[in-house]
Amino acid sequence: MKAGLEVHQQLDTGKLFCRCPSELSETVLGEVTRQLRPTGGEDRAIDPAVAFEAERGRVFRYEATTSDCLVEADEEPPHELNPRALATALTVAALLHARPLDEIEVMRKIVIDGSNTSGFQRTALIAVDGRLDVGGRRYSIPAICLEEDAARKAGEGEGETRYRLDRLGIPLIEIATGPEITGGAEAREVAEEIGALLRSTRRVRRGIGTIREDLNISVPGGTRIEIKGVQELRLIQRYVETEEERQTHLLAVREELARRGAGRPDGAPEEVTHLLEGVATGPLRGLRERGAVAYALRLPGFGGLLKGARPEGERLGRELADHARTAGVRGLLHSDELPAHGLDEERVARLREHLRAGPLDAWVLVTAGRRPTAIAALERVRERAAAATLGVPPETRDPLPDGRSRYSRPLPGRDRMYPETDVPPIRTSEEELERIRGSLPEPPSAERARLAARYDLHAEVVRRLQQLDEVDRLEAMIGRGHPAATVARLLAQDLDAASEGLPTPHHLPTDEELEAILAALDRGLFAKEALPGLLRRLMEEGPPVEKVLTGAGLTPLSRGELEILADELVERNASLIAEKGERARSPLMGDLMREVRGRRDGKEVAEVLERALKRRLAAAGPGG
Amino acid sequence: MASPSNGRDPLEMVRGLPAGSEVEIRTSDGRSYRGTFLPSHELSGPRIVRLKLPSGYNIGVRVGPGDAIAILSRNGNGSGPGAAPPARSEPPQGSDGRPWVALLTTGGTIASRVDYRTGGVRPAKDEAEILSFYPNLEREGPVRVIPVLDRLSEEIAPADWTTIADRVAKTFTEGARGVVVAHGTDTLAYTAAALSFALRDLPGPVVLVGAQRSPDRPSSDGASNLQAATHVARTADLGEVVVLMHEGLSDTSFALHRGTRVRKMHSSRRDAFRTRNGPPLGRLKDQQLTLSADARPSAPGPLRLDPRLDPEASLLWFHPGLGPARAEQYVGGLRGVILAGTGLGHVSSLHLPWIRTAVARGVFVGMTTQCLEGSVDPFVYATGRELLRAGVTYLGDMLPETAYVKLLFGLGRYASASELRGFMLTDVAGEIAYRHPLEPPR
Ligand SMILES: [Zn+2]
Repeated sequence: MKAGLEVHQQLDTGKLFCRCPSELSETVLGEVTRQLRPTGGEDRAIDPAVAFEAERGRVFRYEATTSDCLVEADEEPPHELNPRALATALTVAALLHARPLDEIEVMRKIVIDGSNTSGFQRTALIAVDGRLDVGGRRYSIPAICLEEDAARKAGEGEGETRYRLDRLGIPLIEIATGPEITGGAEAREVAEEIGALLRSTRRVRRGIGTIREDLNISVPGGTRIEIKGVQELRLIQRYVETEEERQTHLLAVREELARRGAGRPDGAPEEVTHLLEGVATGPLRGLRERGAVAYALRLPGFGGLLKGARPEGERLGRELADHARTAGVRGLLHSDELPAHGLDEERVARLREHLRAGPLDAWVLVTAGRRPTAIAALERVRERAAAATLGVPPETRDPLPDGRSRYSRPLPGRDRMYPETDVPPIRTSEEELERIRGSLPEPPSAERARLAARYDLHAEVVRRLQQLDEVDRLEAMIGRGHPAATVARLLAQDLDAASEGLPTPHHLPTDEELEAILAALDRGLFAKEALPGLLRRLMEEGPPVEKVLTGAGLTPLSRGELEILADELVERNASLIAEKGERARSPLMGDLMREVRGRRDGKEVAEVLERALKRRLAAAGPGG
Repeated sequence: MASPSNGRDPLEMVRGLPAGSEVEIRTSDGRSYRGTFLPSHELSGPRIVRLKLPSGYNIGVRVGPGDAIAILSRNGNGSGPGAAPPARSEPPQGSDGRPWVALLTTGGTIASRVDYRTGGVRPAKDEAEILSFYPNLEREGPVRVIPVLDRLSEEIAPADWTTIADRVAKTFTEGARGVVVAHGTDTLAYTAAALSFALRDLPGPVVLVGAQRSPDRPSSDGASNLQAATHVARTADLGEVVVLMHEGLSDTSFALHRGTRVRKMHSSRRDAFRTRNGPPLGRLKDQQLTLSADARPSAPGPLRLDPRLDPEASLLWFHPGLGPARAEQYVGGLRGVILAGTGLGHVSSLHLPWIRTAVARGVFVGMTTQCLEGSVDPFVYATGRELLRAGVTYLGDMLPETAYVKLLFGLGRYASASELRGFMLTDVAGEIAYRHPLEPPR
C-alpha cells in the first residue's frame, strides 16, 4: 500500500489576511445568516464535490466573536498576506530543502460547506520539491502551502449549520508528502517528525486541533482515499491500517461480484411498510404510528457480501449505510445481518419473498418520515452498490474516534481553484530568503544530536520528547536541578504510561506538581519504579501532591521532625528575622518547602513555620 | 526543448502564446516547472511567466535569459482557463400573459464577473451570461433582461441617467409591472436620485439594486438582492424610485431606501446603503414587505418623463485651507454649485466675495451639510447669516449628492434664477424632510 500525508499546522502569527489574533474566542458578539451558491471557476465548470454540497441548500449561521472582524464576515476585502506567516512558511520550506516560488499567487479553493463565509478558502503554493529524512528513509515534499483555516463548526440543525468565526483565517502551513509511506507506524513517525519541525519555528499554535492531518491511502488495485482532518496523531497508524483492510476487503468483494456476474442493481425501490406491521421491538417498531414509511431495494448477486470477513472488520454494508445517511435517513438494515433488530425469521422470509430475492441476492431496507427521503436514500445505496462492482470508489472520508473512518463526500477534482483577485501576487525577494536561510531554527535532527550529547540521553528518547512537544519542559526541569535521565524518562514514558486507559478528562499534572514528585524522588523517598503509579494517582485524584504521596504511604517525615526542621531553620536565620521581623516569613517558607516538599502538606508546613517564627519573635522581645 | 544557447530570449517563446497551452520552464539552476500557460497578471513582476500547475495552483516563474521554455502543446481553440463561457440559456422573451418585470443592466459588480486574464472584474457580456449568474431569477415569474449600459459605476455620467430614465419609461410603456435596475454600487445613489427627478407618476416600482460582492463568489449578495428586488418590483404597490440592498449582514432581510435620501455609507459591507435623516422606506424580510406610511403608491398613470438636465454644475466640499481663489477658479464657468459646508452650512467668510459675484452673475449657489446627517440652518451663526445675504440658497436636510443631481435637472428645466430657486426649495421627490422624529435614545 501507499500513503501520503498532508499536515496542516496553525500559526500563532495573527490571522492570514487581517489583523485579528490567531486565537479562539468564547465571546460571541452576534450572528450572521448566509447562504452560498455554487459558482464556476475560470472555465465555469462546477466541481462534483461542490455540486454535492450545493444540492443540500443549507443555511449557515455564523457566530461573530472577539477574534474576528469584517474580513472573516466577508464584509471587507482581504488585506495583504501576513508577512510573518509568509516568513514562517518560507522558514519551513528552507528546513525541508524546498524551492520557494519566484512569485506566489493566492488562490480561491471553492468550499461551499459553509466553513468559509466567502465560499472559498484562500490558499497559496509557497514552495515545491522539498524532502525530509525520517528513520533512514527519504520522503519527497512536493508542495508547501500557506492557507487560511476554516470556521469551526458549532452545531448542526434541520437544514442549517452553525459555525464560529474565530478560527476562520488563522494561517495554516500545509505540508504534503509524496505517496511514499508504506505502513501505518511509518505514517505516524513521518507526521510526528513534521510536527517537531514545524514547532522548531516557535511560531506555531499548540494544543489539540492546532495540527491536523489528511491521509491519502491506496492499496494496489484500489483508489486514492482521503481521510480528512485527523487531530489525534497517535491514531494515524490505526486509520492507515483500517483503510488498508477496508480497501483490501472491497477489492475481494469486487472479485466475488465479478465471479457472480453481478452488475449495477436495477430494480425500483419498493415500499414494504405493510410487511412490517406489528414488529414489536427494534428500530422498525410502530412505523405506521410514527407516520414513517419503509422502502427496500434488492441487490442481485450481493448476498453474503454486505457483511465483513470478520465480525468487527470493514464491510460493504456499512459503506451502503453511510451513503444512505447522506440522503437524510438514520441508517439501514441489510439482509446479511438479519434476522435481528426485531425482525424474526418468518418476517425476513416474507420480505425476501416480496422482493423476489434469491439465495445469492441481498437487499437493504430504510425508513424515513417522508417517501422521497427513503427513495433518495435507496438511490444512493444503488450508486454505491454499483461502484462496488468496479472496486474502491474514490472519496473523502471522516476519521472516527475509534480509528475507523466514514464516507463524507466525493473526492474533489482540480476545478475548484481560481485566483483570489483581491490579493496581488507576491514576489519573494532574494534578500528575504537570504535572511531566512541565515537564521534558520535548529532542525529536529540537530536538536536531537545536541540534547543527546549534552544530557547523555538516547537519541530515540529525545525523538520521543520532540514528538510529544516536551523538549522545552525537559530543558527547564533539568535547568532547575533535576537529573536529566529521570526527567527524560518522566516526560517520554512515565506520563504516557500513567495515563493509559484513564478516562478523559482526568487531572493533567502541572510542571510544579511534577517537580514536587521529582523532588521527592531525588531525596530517595521512593524508587523510580514507583513513579508511574504515583503519577497515575495524581491524575486520578488531583492535587495536592502531598496528599498523593501520603496516600501512597510515603511520609517518612513526622510532625515532630518537621517542627525540628522549622526550629533549626529559624535558628539559622536569626539575624534575618531580627532585621525583617514578620517579613522574613516568605523567604523562610520557600526554604522550608524546598526541604520537605512532597513529604508534608504545604498548609501544615506553613502552620509549623508560623509557630516557630512567633516563638522566635516573642523570645527576642519588642524592638529586639 | 528550446535551447537557451540559440541566443533568443526565452520569453519570446510565449509571446502571443494562447492561454491554455502546455509549457515547461527549465531554469539554468536546475529547476523545472510544467503547467498550463496563463496570461500575465496586471500586477506581476518583470519577466514573470504565469503557470497553472496540475494541482490547480497558479504560480509565477521568473524566466531569465539563460532559462528555457518548451511549448509542449499549443492551445488552438483558445478555450483554456480564462476563456469566455459558453452561453447557457436563451433570454426569456415571451411573458405569455403573466405579469413580467424588467431587469435593466447597466454594468457594475452585480452584473460582472472576474476576468481571470487580468485578475480584475469585467461586466457581463450579455443577457445569457447574466441569467447564468442568477439561475433562480425567474422563480416567481418572467423577467425580461434588458442590457442598457455596460459601465462600472464610477464611469456613469449624467448623460447615462438620461439613457436609463428613457429605458425605464419605455419599459413601463411596454407593460412591465415593475422595473429593476442593476447598477454598480459606488454611484448607485446618484442614479437613484436622478431617476427620482426624471420620472414622475410611476405606475410601478423602480428598484435599483447592486452587489457588494461579485457574482462569481459563492457568497455574493447579488443573488439575494436581485431576488428581493424582482419580488418587490413584481408585487409592491409602490410608485417610487427606491434602492434595495441588504439591511444587515445576513442574507435574510433587505431595506428599501427612497432614491433621494440614500447614501453608500460603507465601502465594502453588504449593508452599506442607509437612508439618511430618517428610517428606511421599507423592509423585506422573509418575503414579507413592510412599507412606511408615506411611501407613494403606484400612480394610475400616465408616467411622466422629463429627463432634461444640464451638467454644468458641480459639488464642492469645503475644508480648512480651501482658499477663495481656488474655489472661484473651480466654480468659474459653471451655472451652479452645491457647497458641502461644515456643520449647519458654513464656509470661511473669506469666500463671501466670490460667492456674491457668482450669484450676481446668475450662478446658483446651494448649501448643504457635509455632516453625515442633519439639516443646514443659516440663522444660528453670523457666518450663515452673511452667506444667506450673499445669495446662498440653504437646502435644508437635502443630501449634497441629491442636491447636486437635482440642480442638474433644475438647470435643464428652468432658465430664470427665481424659478430654479423655487424648484430647489420644493420637495419634489421626497428629498427634503421638514420633520426629524426623535429616534429612540441609544
Ligand atoms: Zn479579522
